[in-house]
Amino acid sequence: MAMPALPAARYPNSELEKKMGALAIKNVTKSFGDTHILKGIDIEIDDGQFLILVGPSGCGKSTLMNIIAGLEGPTTGEVHIGGRVVNNISPKDRDIAMVFQSYALYPTMNVRQNIAFGLETRKVPKKEQDEVIQRVAKMLQMDHLLDRKPGQLSGGQRQRVAMGRALARDPILFLFDEPLSNLDAKLRVEMRTEIKQLHQRLKTTMVYVTHDQIEAMTLGDRIAVMKDGIIQQFGSPQEIYERPSNLFVASFIGSPSMNFIDCHLAEQNGQIGVSLQTDSDARFLPLPNGQRLAGRVGQEVILGVRPEQLDVAHSDDNVAAISIKVNLTEPTGPDTMIFTKINGKEVVARVHPRDAKGPGETMRLALDMSKVVLFDPKTELRLE
Amino acid sequence: MANNNKWARILVYAVLIYAVIYYLLPLYVMITTSVKTTEEIRTGNLLSLPMHITLDAWRKAWGTACTGVQCTGLSLYFWNSVRMVFPAVIISTTMGAINGYILSKWKFYGSEIVFAMLMYGLYIPFQVLLLPMAQTEGYLGIAGTTPGLIFVHVVCGIASTTLFFRNYYVGIPDELINAARLDGAGFWRIFFRVVLPMSLPIVMVTFIWQFTQIWNDFLFGLVFSSGDSQPITVGLNNMANTSTSVKEYNVDMAGAIIAALPTIFVYVVAGKYFVRGLAAGAVKG
Ligand SMILES: Nc1ncnc2c1ncn2[C@@H]1O[C@H](COP(=O)(O)OP(=O)(O)OP(=O)(O)O)[C@@H](O)[C@H]1O
Ligand SMILES: [Mg+2]
Repeated sequence: MAMPALPAARYPNSELEKKMGALAIKNVTKSFGDTHILKGIDIEIDDGQFLILVGPSGCGKSTLMNIIAGLEGPTTGEVHIGGRVVNNISPKDRDIAMVFQSYALYPTMNVRQNIAFGLETRKVPKKEQDEVIQRVAKMLQMDHLLDRKPGQLSGGQRQRVAMGRALARDPILFLFDEPLSNLDAKLRVEMRTEIKQLHQRLKTTMVYVTHDQIEAMTLGDRIAVMKDGIIQQFGSPQEIYERPSNLFVASFIGSPSMNFIDCHLAEQNGQIGVSLQTDSDARFLPLPNGQRLAGRVGQEVILGVRPEQLDVAHSDDNVAAISIKVNLTEPTGPDTMIFTKINGKEVVARVHPRDAKGPGETMRLALDMSKVVLFDPKTELRLE
Repeated sequence: MANNNKWARILVYAVLIYAVIYYLLPLYVMITTSVKTTEEIRTGNLLSLPMHITLDAWRKAWGTACTGVQCTGLSLYFWNSVRMVFPAVIISTTMGAINGYILSKWKFYGSEIVFAMLMYGLYIPFQVLLLPMAQTEGYLGIAGTTPGLIFVHVVCGIASTTLFFRNYYVGIPDELINAARLDGAGFWRIFFRVVLPMSLPIVMVTFIWQFTQIWNDFLFGLVFSSGDSQPITVGLNNMANTSTSVKEYNVDMAGAIIAALPTIFVYVVAGKYFVRGLAAGAVKG
């Protein structure tokens, strides 16, 4: 028997079912006159996810944040928040809290008033305001600053106040534009943990701009790597780290940066691989399931190897290994960076300090060929 | 080197002292003359100190000197000016602040053109306005009244007050306005809570500027007021032009000082804000 047709309202469409803070940016472009800043941005995250925007200075991160907040309109494209198009909704009705890159603290108000302003506007009762201010001040270690004006604060203190002003609210979406860039190393690490815990507790959707590798990797559920107004790659931190879609992403994410070694794709004994040459050795290293690259044999490729994928070879390792001459070492504490040359290119390996040899000595390094990536030197795209 | 420095210093001081004398001498003459008797002025030297000080000339200038047919001194004109200057200054400053706020922080399609046209207003010689303005005042039924004079001053002051505020507000970062918008504040709330509290220096600059312009205005006062609404500048002119048997320089000088006192007072009280405001507008980033 056929089910009787139910009124449509009982079955809201999937768009409406999406929860509050889901964010979708659909083909957004932005031009100021003839300068095209954003050239077709597509990003979609679920409610409660933590999105990281990274990219070199001037690539349009802040512009994108302003568009999400509604402070600027996109030239074309749509912004969806919680499943509805918000292009025509004013910033104050989008229920977004934002930390501005330049802090944007009200100079004539003291810290307490700065934090309270948004609460007042939204008619939060006075008593509740005070509680919120206390909570935020404690979290950001700025109880003693509450009666000061922004002009009497250091850069790092201002940044904390800007953070506090956003955290005092309970919005459906947080936007943070480099909120920790001016803090000292220790406070920065503390705040990073604090933000992570906060996100786990509140489960509010967050968009976070940073230049810091570690912040990007540790905080993000999703990372969008931008350059020149184009999303180069959008994915989970692990995906971006392990399978960067092009040379730019590979070199931008990770510190020290990925090694790029120019080589020829060759075939030996029925295996496809690359030949590497060092000052003390020359080897052919086969690629696991290299057959997929059969069509490219004889062509130039760029071999991408992360420093930690070059480790000291132990005799029983069943991996490709090559002997190298150490040019320089840089101990960082937990690891030691070994600088050498492979195929004429400077290469960094990250090894345990115990295994590190001194400059001029030779050592055997193992390459984890299952993890290395290959790029096409012309298109700069990763070879699948 | 040190010698060079010394001579440079002496030269600078010489120039400065000359400038000081150049500006203060007329004031000295005005003040000393106003406290002399007519007799002493006639027989004495322009630069000599008064032999005995008398305030008779001041009393006469304020209360009994003839300005045309009536002989009630400058006091009526003075209060006319006071009644006219405060509303005119406050209204034109307020409108300048709001215009400047809109033209810098709430730009709309064509707002640059509006601003350019307003600035054009700075270059219009006011004489050109006299006829059309007189006609407009006639239509509005405020010709020859204090409100009519206030109207003229407000209209003619808006260009400069808008320019002052707009240029000052351009220096306030847009992100501050954006932060307030995200905090849920609207146009007026942002203006009163965020922008206006930052505006003290430019408010003072505009206030002093407008006060001086309007208080010292003679042209509009002469054309757009009549009888019981004439400002002090017109009164002073009438007084000095009313022919008496002997030219009473002491009364004229006292009258001139009375006419100038309020602007001097405003500069002394608010002058430090004036300098500070001009500087703030220049360096604000
Ligand atoms: N109102 C504007 N008019 C013209 N160009 C603008 C405007 N706002 C931003 N731009 C330009 O857009 C580009 C992107 O700026 P944006 O502030 O978004 O960069 P960003 O990625 O945030 O850089 P950073 O990491 O330095 O903060 C820059 O080249 C900037 O000069
Ligand atoms: Mg930025």
